[in-house]
Amino acid sequence: MLFVLIVVIAGLLAVVGPWWTIAPVCFAVCWWKSTSASQAFWTPAMAGITLWMGYALYLHFNSGVDLATKVAGIFTAGVPALAAVPGIVLVLIIAVLVVGPVSGFAGLAGLAVRRFLNAPASP
Amino acid sequence: MRFIKHFWPLFAALALLYVFNRSWGMVPPLGKVFSPFEGFLQHAVAGHSRQDEEILLKGIAEEVTVYYDDNAVPHIFAQNDADLYFAQGYVIARDRLWQMEFYTLVASGRLSEVVGGAALAYDRFNRRIGMARSAATIAEKLKADTLANRMLEAYAAGVNAYIEQLTYRDLPVEYKLLNYSPERWTPYKSILMLMNMRNTLNGGSYDYGLTKVLARYGADVVANLFPDYPALESPAIPEGTEWEFSPVPRPVVPERVTALPDSDLLSFYMPAPRPEIGSNNWAVSGTKSATGLPILANDPHLQLTLPSIWYQMQLAAPGVNVYGVALPGTPNIIIGFNKDIAWGVTNLGPDVMDFYRIQFRDSTFREYRHDGQWKPATRHIETFSLKGGRTVYDTLYYTHHGPVVYHKADPTNTDRVPPGYAMRWVTNETDDSDMLAFYYLNRGTDYDDYREALGYFTAPAQNFVFSSNGGDIALAAAGKLPLKWKGQGKYLLDGTLASHDWQGWIPKEQNPAVRNPSRGFVSSANQSPTDTTYPYYLDWRFAHPARAIRINERLEAMTDATADSLRALQNDNYNVDARRVLPRLMKALAAADSIRRSAEFDAVERWNRRNDADAVGAAIFESWLDNLMAAIWEDEFPRDDDFLFPSLDRTFELINNEPDAPWFDNVNTPDTVETLDDIIRESFNITVKHMRERLGDISARTWALGKVKGTRIMHLVPNFRSFGRIGVNNGGGSSVVNATSRTNGPSWRMVVQLDKEWPVAYGLYPGGQSGNPGSRYYDNMIDRWAQGELDTLLFMKRADEPSDRLQRRMALKPTK
Repeated sequence: MLFVLIVVIAGLLAVVGPWWTIAPVCFAVCWWKSTSASQAFWTPAMAGITLWMGYALYLHFNSGVDLATKVAGIFTAGVPALAAVPGIVLVLIIAVLVVGPVSGFAGLAGLAVRRFLNAPASP
Repeated sequence: MRFIKHFWPLFAALALLYVFNRSWGMVPPLGKVFSPFEGFLQHAVAGHSRQDEEILLKGIAEEVTVYYDDNAVPHIFAQNDADLYFAQGYVIARDRLWQMEFYTLVASGRLSEVVGGAALAYDRFNRRIGMARSAATIAEKLKADTLANRMLEAYAAGVNAYIEQLTYRDLPVEYKLLNYSPERWTPYKSILMLMNMRNTLNGGSYDYGLTKVLARYGADVVANLFPDYPALESPAIPEGTEWEFSPVPRPVVPERVTALPDSDLLSFYMPAPRPEIGSNNWAVSGTKSATGLPILANDPHLQLTLPSIWYQMQLAAPGVNVYGVALPGTPNIIIGFNKDIAWGVTNLGPDVMDFYRIQFRDSTFREYRHDGQWKPATRHIETFSLKGGRTVYDTLYYTHHGPVVYHKADPTNTDRVPPGYAMRWVTNETDDSDMLAFYYLNRGTDYDDYREALGYFTAPAQNFVFSSNGGDIALAAAGKLPLKWKGQGKYLLDGTLASHDWQGWIPKEQNPAVRNPSRGFVSSANQSPTDTTYPYYLDWRFAHPARAIRINERLEAMTDATADSLRALQNDNYNVDARRVLPRLMKALAAADSIRRSAEFDAVERWNRRNDADAVGAAIFESWLDNLMAAIWEDEFPRDDDFLFPSLDRTFELINNEPDAPWFDNVNTPDTVETLDDIIRESFNITVKHMRERLGDISARTWALGKVKGTRIMHLVPNFRSFGRIGVNNGGGSSVVNATSRTNGPSWRMVVQLDKEWPVAYGLYPGGQSGNPGSRYYDNMIDRWAQGELDTLLFMKRADEPSDRLQRRMALKPTK
């Protein structure tokens, strides 16, 4: 449920908003629905990764030109070891490394802040 | 503690957002750039959209219709001129916005604002040669010219209409990767685009290299080795053409013709004119063509880049319907045709950049000596706002000649211009309007219109080839040509002498020109514009005549020419230099048994003297010629020391006719006297040795010219190597008509067959219409270009003319 909510809401917002809209979505949805810290981190992280990877792969395979390899080439110039790796793989790795932690920590933050505000004042 | 326990994930998330939302050094904002929703993957387009669209725009008066054809070429139909140029700006910006702005940043010395301190030296140089300042003056002056101003303002409004629509996700990918955004467009920026062209085509000088030769060897050696006219030439205006004008008085050669450089001024270096920046154009008359009407061809040679320097389009409005290539960032068609006429350009290459040694009164640089008086210098402070926030200031002094390019030794000055030398350069001329020349050419219908249009042109001086369906063919040099004494500006000049100033201008109607010569064709290939009877001095050295000689031989022999005959000539790979010098060279090689038995000798011996892609002999010859020139001249005229080499033409004359010239001896070997044959054999052996080291043993595949030359078409940002194309396999060479070298070549090939009813035209350039590396129209013409093919151009008669090549319609509608 958490996963689907994030993918749908963040996906819709991403079409109109900037890249970081995924963070407040994860924060809010986890505030609302998450139950454990592990869930509040990993579910949004995986949802964010699914969303970005899914759309990136869709764009990549629908395109007539391998732009991912051209752009990856700029960053891997001078690193011959990476030259053999398909550009889209490198692009996805970077995308995952960006969106995974951002979504994960935003989700965890939603849960943690909720717990802070809802917790009894002092034990 | 409890606060930290619950809030650290929030801080972690915010920190990550911050880190990924901004750039770090050369690393772009990773979140923005790698998000598939707004990053670069947005540019991975699925193919050419066939969807018609309607766009509401503020700034146009009436609806404009744009059709895109199967090569992504826009055909713009507007109902008035202002809307036409608005739409031209809007449409070009959609495909080439980043490139247009990049050129303006280069010309105005502002590249360091987007790429950082690495470009500072380059920027300083470009500021110091004065282009931005002159562009601003031109833009200011043109405000008084209603026509030019309306055109430039409309164009700028069109570009800005596009910029205003852009969100981050639509920004061209280079903006995303370099992390900046476009500024508003202005008429000034259109002028900067033209300044760039002036710099490319007129921004070189032999003055210092030749002055060094003069200082070391004296005037006799200069006269012998650096003559004012080649031994073998086929000038652009046919030999024997009568000059139908009375020349104005020509300035007298003064007693002193140079100011020799001070002994401590060894650091001067301006780039020499680049031989690979050249072009071909020609037109055959009806007497030589199969149709009985003229056919015209043009291929300007420039550095090959992506996005391409040219953009194909058709512009139509009441009073104009023209097709051809435009320069992104400037209105009008630059090279093209309409129903009645066609025109094309090659660089004329006169000496329009001179250096004056300035004697300043003191180290405040406030006054300088000229004509017996102290005259005030003007001071400007240039400001550079580097990416990252640092600001750098630079002081620039102007004399009446122009900017003092460097006034003291400067360690950051990579282009090494002499301390205290002011530059007079036609690029900094601010009158007339090149833009109006093209405006009128676009609308021209006959020879008179063409000549009138050329009157507006200032620089860079070009040979405009022309043909009309009235049957005229013509070639005329357009641009301001300084009126000089013979030899003025061959060497560094003396800024204290009034007689060294430029003495006015050659009347434009007396520029070299010819109409309907009896030989039935006109042509130019950057060679000497005229024979030695032309009354004015233009320059002592023009491009190597090999291309011109070949073009004129073939056109002379041509009968029943068709568009395809001219296309074939554009791709002609015959090597005139090989014909001229190889017999003598091979004689020397054949006398040495060890060489005669080598496979490399055999390859050159059997070579058909064509620089075809698979020719091994051509690959060896091209490399050998470089080594031969170095072997003959490097000892006396070391290039590292900024000396100029004698020309290929003079060298070939020495080899063929003066084998005992002392220059063949290598002065660095005092004990032996090398003969011409020694030098020929030694340079051949060095060539073979280097090629074996680089390519392995000789083979038809690895030593083929196309492989060895390795033509490459790179992106304008040098670091974006993966946006370029390498290993384009084709023939050619800088001295053959198909002037494709490793990095330079025909940047647009066009052939136009004039017709009483409607012309038939062909064209192609090594790139594509789109500036987006994610589009298949980014480089889709390169392979056909390498094969020497041309596309049939779709030149529509009217907006409602049906064609199955039209793929989509874009209507630009005024907002109510």
